[in-house]
Amino acid sequence: MNGYNFAYLDEQTKRMIRRALLKAVAIPGYQVPFGGREMPMPYGWGTGGMQLTASILGADDVLKVIDQGADDTTNAVSIRAFFERVAGVETTTVTPAASVIQTRHRIPETPLEPGQILVFQVPIPEPLRFIEPSEQETRLMHALEEYGVMHVKLYEDIARHGHIATTYAYPVKVDGRYVMDPSPIPKFDNPKLDMSPALLLFGAGREKRLYAIPPHTRVESLDFEDHPFEIQRWEQRCALCASDKSFLDEVITDDAGGRMFVCSDTDYCLTRRGELS
Amino acid sequence: MYVAVKGGERAIANAHRLLADRRRGDREQAELEVDQIQGQLRLAVDRVMSEASLYDPELAALAIKQASGDMIEAVFLLRAYRTTLPRLAVSEPLDTGAMRIERRISATYKDIPGGQVLGPTYDYTHRLLDFLLLAEGETPPVESSEPPLAPCPQILELLDAEGLIERERDDGSEPADITRDPPDYPVDRAARLQMLARGDEGYLLALGYSTQRGYGRNHPFAGEIRLGQVEVEIFAEEWGEAVCVGEIALSECQMINQFGGSREAAPQFTRGYGLAFGHSERKTLAMALVDRALRAEELGEPIQGPAQQAEFVLAHADNVEASGFVSHLKLPHYVDFQSELELLRRLRREHEARRQGTGQEAGSPTSTTDERAAAPGDPA
Amino acid sequence: MPWPTLNDPVHDSQRLFRQLLTAMSEPGTLHTLEVPSPPGDDIGPALWGVLLTLCDLDTRVWLAPALDGPALQEALVFHTGCRLTADPAEADFALVTPGVLAEPIAFALGSDEYPDRSTTLLVALDTLEPAGEWYLTGPGIALQRQLGLGVAAAPLMARLAANRGSFPCGLDAILTCGARLAALPRSTRIEEVA
Repeated sequence: MNGYNFAYLDEQTKRMIRRALLKAVAIPGYQVPFGGREMPMPYGWGTGGMQLTASILGADDVLKVIDQGADDTTNAVSIRAFFERVAGVETTTVTPAASVIQTRHRIPETPLEPGQILVFQVPIPEPLRFIEPSEQETRLMHALEEYGVMHVKLYEDIARHGHIATTYAYPVKVDGRYVMDPSPIPKFDNPKLDMSPALLLFGAGREKRLYAIPPHTRVESLDFEDHPFEIQRWEQRCALCASDKSFLDEVITDDAGGRMFVCSDTDYCLTRRGELS
Repeated sequence: MYVAVKGGERAIANAHRLLADRRRGDREQAELEVDQIQGQLRLAVDRVMSEASLYDPELAALAIKQASGDMIEAVFLLRAYRTTLPRLAVSEPLDTGAMRIERRISATYKDIPGGQVLGPTYDYTHRLLDFLLLAEGETPPVESSEPPLAPCPQILELLDAEGLIERERDDGSEPADITRDPPDYPVDRAARLQMLARGDEGYLLALGYSTQRGYGRNHPFAGEIRLGQVEVEIFAEEWGEAVCVGEIALSECQMINQFGGSREAAPQFTRGYGLAFGHSERKTLAMALVDRALRAEELGEPIQGPAQQAEFVLAHADNVEASGFVSHLKLPHYVDFQSELELLRRLRREHEARRQGTGQEAGSPTSTTDERAAAPGDPA
Repeated sequence: MPWPTLNDPVHDSQRLFRQLLTAMSEPGTLHTLEVPSPPGDDIGPALWGVLLTLCDLDTRVWLAPALDGPALQEALVFHTGCRLTADPAEADFALVTPGVLAEPIAFALGSDEYPDRSTTLLVALDTLEPAGEWYLTGPGIALQRQLGLGVAAAPLMARLAANRGSFPCGLDAILTCGARLAALPRSTRIEEVA
């Protein structure tokens, strides 16, 4: 695009982000502060993920962008069009064909492969933020590995509801050290973080933090012996592809209580339907 | 039968076309020109420049036009453009004492060297709608009678000569640059003033107001408010001296606040400071109040009001950040919502089972179709 | 002979960075960098490529006396704009040979609050082989990897092995030999196998 550098960001900004990314993979789960820049899209709409993608993307990459698991949601369409415009890269909806996948709120159902990079858009990177609003305090808690309050919070849920009431952005511990927010993915996706063959990068633009999980890294979801971590399940199968292993979106079909359940991952669902037909 | 919604791309393109049409409005009317906005909506232009941290009246006017007058959208447009600009040089510190004054008032002394100069102000206008403007009546030109004002000494410097007010010192350290470095709380005053200078005017106004109503009161006097033109100088290596590269309009507010002092230091007035591009007087007053409130910890005052809590005030002052994050609630959250639905239905099912004492197993991780179908319309 | 720069600064540095990112996220894997060779024997193409990719006016670089010299200084400042520092504690990057680590040089290790504020070692090695005396485990490694670095690397590896005791503070290292490169972040557990 005329007047803008390849992938929009100037080279100095990319270098700053690249240096921060190397620190992030060296200290898995630690939130590295970085000099986040304004992007031509609103904060909260994926500017952190976009800055990371812009800093790693090359001319021979194949980019996939999903939001809620789907390639065709408006924000995914908008971000994909942005990178087509400013970087001229090839884009795809096919998970295995992508070298870089930017995502909001989901990890694809199709298992990721070595060499792939998944870039998460993160709204609030601090897993302790809703327990302790002050950045100065939470920074100290991470430094001292003081994570008791997080377990207390989860346990209060159990006392009140009989269950841990966190269903997305469910906190994890990375390589036995840092408690980390995996971004608002459903806890259904948490097991995919553990020993993932792909590199996982997380970018929070407004909060100016980035973090990473290298491939093959231990990632445990916080839980209790008497209340082990569990993921969502559905009685139904996907109404379109009949999968009983994917995360299902509920779709309201009429105003008389009619509803159906379909895969949130559109590429996975379409691929299965291609195979089935 | 449900059909997956496709065509997000087309929907977005259509939305952009509609937006452009609404922005243009009735084609019977002449299109608003950027120089009209720049010339006649100058206070809007100044606010956009201040909160975007970019001094460019023409582009600020363009942003206002493009944003259909949505000020936060205009700030965002200009801010996003600013990010792409190269940094060619860093100016010398601006000398507001050498300002070419257009307006200058002090609330602390009746008469001051250089005089009280009202300048263009809405202050003493009676807020009566002027129907002449509706009838497109022309405004007569101002008769320029007096010679341009001489530079006026700053009021707080006069107090300083007597030792009555704390002295601001330049310790020579490199100030933070909030446009390049993430905030590292607690931030120093240089970073704080930068964050306040680009902070949302309405937000600062409310916080400043709250200190006047007792939530962190700091006994302010408007020591001096001045606005006018200030020269921007850049040190040229090849000439070995600073050269003027132009003038910008600035508003400055120096607030005088109640004493500090200790066993060692004699009591002195303290300061709050506000600065903004263009004619942004209200912004600088609010900024000075909040700056002073945020000095509570440094001055050993109890922290009693929201305006005194630095991390809270500063982390939420940027309207581009705030607007983005609030409006991101419009983005799809199907997946998270589905996760919550699944849990809520399970909790309600278990609650019902306990209430009826039917002995249904609590903690079953699966939902049944029947209960799912019953849940939404069920008032129980 | 002049020090070469990247042919296509935008795309070459992106490609080199991706190799670095893979190296750092999969410790012990070897990567060959395509970079024009700098003059002399001290600095190989991989090391020069890393400097060109990561350094700019926001970075401070410390040069070990064994590698320091006016030609390198001039080339580094000219091509990257980086600032040279004599204080290892304020260096973002330190250009070292493995023997330099025999001295207890006070590089920045970061703090418990900001472990990222640490020095990254850029090491010029004579040997860098995918098999040998060093066994690596930890994040980025499915089971185990090996590296062969030669006897000269012992002081370096002793220093990096100490990372586990100070984690999350510590030193990350980018190891280079000619055009080859591997990385050892502070998260890697290092064991010497006789």
